[in-house]
Formats: sequence, structure tokens, C-alpha cells
Amino acid sequence: MFLALREMRHSKARYSLIMVIMLLVSFLVLFVTGLARGLAYANISALENMPANYFVVQSDADHTFRRSQLGESELAAARAVAGEAKATPLGVQTSTITAADADVKADITFFAIDMAGMLAPEVTEGAGITNEVQGSAVVDSKLEESGVTIGSTISDQATGMSWTVSGFVKDSSYSHTPVVYINQLDWQAMKQGAVQGGSSDSTDSTDSTDSTGNAPYNVIALKVSSAQASEIAAQQQSVEVITQKQAISSVPGYAAEQNSLLMMIAFLFVIAAVVLAVFFYVITIQKTSQFGILKAMGTKMSYLAWSVVGQVLILSVASLALSLLLTFGMNMGLPDTMPFQLDGQTMILTSLLFIGMSLLGSLISVARVAKVDALEAIGRTGA
Amino acid sequence: MSAKLIMKQVTKTYGDGDGAMTVLNNLDFTVNEGEFVAVLGPSGSGKSTFLSAAGALLTPTSGEIFIDGESLRDKDKGALTELRLQKIGFMFQSAQLLPFLKVEEQLLYVAKLAKLTTKEAKVRATCLLKRLEIWERRNQYPEQLSGGEKQRVAIARAWMNKPAILFADEPTASLDYSRGREVVRMIADEVRSEGKAAVMVTHDDRMLEWCDRVLHLEDGVLVQA
Ligand SMILES: Nc1ncnc2c1ncn2[C@@H]1O[C@H](COP(=O)(O)OP(=O)(O)OP(=O)(O)O)[C@@H](O)[C@H]1O
Ligand SMILES: [Mg+2]
Repeated sequence: MFLALREMRHSKARYSLIMVIMLLVSFLVLFVTGLARGLAYANISALENMPANYFVVQSDADHTFRRSQLGESELAAARAVAGEAKATPLGVQTSTITAADADVKADITFFAIDMAGMLAPEVTEGAGITNEVQGSAVVDSKLEESGVTIGSTISDQATGMSWTVSGFVKDSSYSHTPVVYINQLDWQAMKQGAVQGGSSDSTDSTDSTDSTGNAPYNVIALKVSSAQASEIAAQQQSVEVITQKQAISSVPGYAAEQNSLLMMIAFLFVIAAVVLAVFFYVITIQKTSQFGILKAMGTKMSYLAWSVVGQVLILSVASLALSLLLTFGMNMGLPDTMPFQLDGQTMILTSLLFIGMSLLGSLISVARVAKVDALEAIGRTGA
Repeated sequence: MSAKLIMKQVTKTYGDGDGAMTVLNNLDFTVNEGEFVAVLGPSGSGKSTFLSAAGALLTPTSGEIFIDGESLRDKDKGALTELRLQKIGFMFQSAQLLPFLKVEEQLLYVAKLAKLTTKEAKVRATCLLKRLEIWERRNQYPEQLSGGEKQRVAIARAWMNKPAILFADEPTASLDYSRGREVVRMIADEVRSEGKAAVMVTHDDRMLEWCDRVLHLEDGVLVQA
């Protein structure tokens, strides 16, 4: 490090320039990563926050919740393995709602769940709903921003059914739309209404679950071990058990959105490595005669390699530290509507990857230094 | 008296086949302790080649070289690097100082490579810099020094690790006559006060006043002037 540090001290301008570029690139990497995470969260937070780790879906549904249709027999089979409390049905339906008292029209997703089960939403404002009382809903707080309040009546445009908003939950989005939680009774009513082709009085459908014959649920959420998950999958031909991750990436639009951001991040990493590699390579070529002298004087190659790598390490760690500070500052200044999320784990991973790529970029310089012959020092004019 | 450098039947041929050129041809040479030898020769006669071979930078085509009693023949790259560090001091044409190290650090770096203690290194560097009259300039970068001052730093650097022998490749090439003579005198002084040996290659025959022996490189062999 003797050489590495003194060289940086002597050529402050040159090394600051590299550092500024690295700073900008690493900042961009962190920022886009945070944005990607934030977007992902804004997209599917309802799924991500679900205390379920596996989902049973119909095997020909392509992992997509809405395409999947399951009935009581599948639920019973899943419950036989997982236990009563660890397997719970979920109905998913996208729709458009209007609120009578506020001038609101919004795309939402209905989640029909067992309000006594593990998927019951954690109400942050107002009151929850029960399995027995129809006509109440708990909605995502994003609807609150558009003017819906507790006590508002929201109506489903497709079926004409309406609910009174009894409470709000935080961070519950599905495919970028706020989630409206309803109980199974309302869900059945809604399904029947849809079958009958319009709005009808459906309060008498309490015993309909099996008699209608159509599949009452979309998927079954599980909280089980992987062994139990494969057991459930093996039992039934027509179903498939997917992980929460798989379920998330099958949410419509999610994969496309994340893949393009991921692509950008990957490119940024490559750019970081290439920029650094080129800069250091040029500097190294300029210093060829110096390396010749150093070798003639008896400097070991390992020492020189460490010197080059050390400089890259110092530069990348320093610029990364600065850009982390910058990212935090930026995050605080960002408006709430801009989704940005950077958890510790992602940050550490991104940082390590960045440093790794920088070191990779420095390797061609090291290779170049290794090729310099100590003989260069003799019989040459130069600095 | 012990020999610091022995070259036995050293041959160096560049290229092969028809284009082969023999630069050193069964050359024999010995330098003893306390000796300062000058090697003269016109440009292209093979002076740099001779010095590179003697200084363990270039492996000769045939022949054997001993430095301070150690044969170079069976040493690998790493061992040669270590030997250069411990036994050989180099002075290159036009000082070749490291531009990013201050004068004193040029010496301390060599000491660091040789794993001298910080205190030892400081004492030795101070002593050398004072003897070569550049102590006042110890905190300056090479770019702030004159050509003669740079060569004096180079001398100090070359002697820093108490090498058995010093090799100087045209140390006066980039200096005017009087500065050049001054530098050669200082090399001679150091050879005497350190009790070591030095070989200087030059094409300038006005610089030979302080040399113990003067040899000519002709047709690949060294002959007495
Ligand atoms: N790597 C090499 N490959 C082929 N030929 C070489 C190589 N190095 C030197 N030569 C040739 O060997 C001869 C001696 O070169 P050398 O550099 O030793 O001469 P020199 O006496 O130091 O010359 P100068 O006084 O100009 O520095 C020259 O003819 C040169 O062209
Ligand atoms: Mg030469």
C-alpha cells in the first residue's frame, strides 16, 4: 500500500476523476436497484406481505392466480396435509369500483379470504370485518388518498354489489392496484351474480358453496414446509404448488417490469467494471516504464499486483460509501409517490457486487503489469 | 579480496537462424571488492545488454554469472528478483526515479522492500542523503529537482540496501560535463566508503578520472584499454 497511497496522493486530480465517475455509476446502481425494489413492492406488496410461503394453483393456470380455479375437494386435500389453519382459500378478482360519496373510480383487486384465517388483513385504521356479516370491506390505504373514507360505500361496476368501507390496511397492492378485502360470503354472492349475468339480490346464497358446482376459490395459500408442499402437489393431478416467489413473478406485468430494471442494473454493473478497467488500463500503460524500474529494483510481482488492486479497492469502497450517503439523502428527499425501497440485504449485496466488478476490471491491468519486463528499465530514456 | 561479480564465458545471441546476432561472445569479467570499473563502447556495441546480463535482468544464451559468490544459473524469476533486491543496486540512464515519491521516500521504499525496520531505514536514508548533499531536498518530488540532483538521489537509492555491487547504465548521459563528472565522483566515493563494487557503462571517455579500471566492449568481449 506504500506505493498505492503515495501515488494517489501525488495524482489527486487523476484519481479524483476516476472516483467521481465511480461515484456516479455506483449511485446510479443503488438508485435504480432501490427503484426496482420499490416498484416491485408497490406492485405486489399484498402478496409479499402475506404470511404464506406456498400456493396451490390449478396446474394449467400458468401460475396465474386469476386463471386458476379450485374447489372444496382441493382445499380439503391441502388441509389434510397442512392442517386446518395452515391452508386457507383465496379468491382474486380485478375490477373497477366507484365510491358513491366521493368522486372516485379506481381499478382494484378483490381478495376474498377467510377473515378468521391466517390471511386476515392487519387493519391499521378503522375496524376489521367478520366472516358472517356481508357488505363490509377492508381496503388498501391508497384508496384513502383518492378520497375514500371509513364509512364510504364502494360499488363494483361489474356486479353492482356494494360494500361499506370499515377499515384500511397498509401496503396491500396487487398488480399495482389497491386490494379490497371481502369475506367468503360476499365472494360467493359476487360469483353467483356474475354467473346469473347481472345484479341480483344475493343475500340468500349462504349455503351455496358447493351446490353451485362452480369452483369457489382461485388458489389456496399455504404455510408449510417444503416437504409438505411437495406432498400436496403429489396428491393431486390437477394442481401445482408454487412458492411465494413464483407466485409473485407470475403476477401480470411484474416480470416484465422487473426484468427491464434488472437489465439496466446489470448493464450498470458492466459499465462500472468497463469504465474502471479502461481507466486503470490506460494509467497502467502510461506507467509501463515505472513498473520496469520497480521490477528491476527487486519489487515482487505480488506486491505490484496488490498495489494496483489496492488502489481499485480504495477507490471503489470510497466512492461506494459516498454514494450510499447520497442515496440515503436522496431517499429522504423523495416524494412518497415515488416508490423507492432499499433494504440492508439488497444494499450489502449490491455493494459487494459493485466492488467485485471493480476488482474484476482491475485484473487486466494486473495482467498488463505482469507482462512488463524488468529489462525495460535498462537502456531507455524516459522520466 | 573477494569477487563481487564474476562472468564466465557469457554469450548472448539475439534472434536465431540467419538473423542471429551475437552481442556478447564468450565474455569473461571479474570485479573485486572496492573496485570501480568503467565499460566503454560505441552505441550499439552491447553495453546495455552486458549490464542487463550482469544485473540479473537478462538470461545469457550461455555462460555463467556469479554475484557475490551466488550463481544466477538455476534461479527462477522470483529468486532473481529477490537477489536484485538484496545484492544489486541499479542506476539507470536518466535517473528513473518514481515521480510520485518524495526524495526521502524513494529510499524508504527500497528499505521497505528489503524489510528494514523503520528506524534503520530512516538512519540509513538520512546518512546517504547527507553524504550526497541532497538532504535539504528530501521532501521534494523528482519533478522539482535538477538532472544532477536526480542522479544523486538515484545513487543514494542504489546504495540504500547495501548491495554487493552497483550497476550504472550511462548515469551521465542526460547531464552536462561538469555535473556528469560530479556524479561519477560521487559513485566512486560511495564505492570506497561502502567497501563495495561498481560497474559503470558509458560512451563518454571524459568521465573516467575516478575509475580503477577502464575496459572496452569490442566484438562482444571486454578488452583492456
Ligand atoms: N531485444 C533485442 N532483440 C534483438 N536485438 C537487440 C535487442 N536488444 C538489443 N539488441 C541489439 O543488440 C545490440 C546491442 O544493443 P545494446 O542496447 O546492448 O547497445 P548499447 O551499447 O547499449 O547501445 P547504446 O549506447 O545506444 O545504448 C544492438 O545492435 C541492438 O540492436
Ligand atoms: Mg544502452
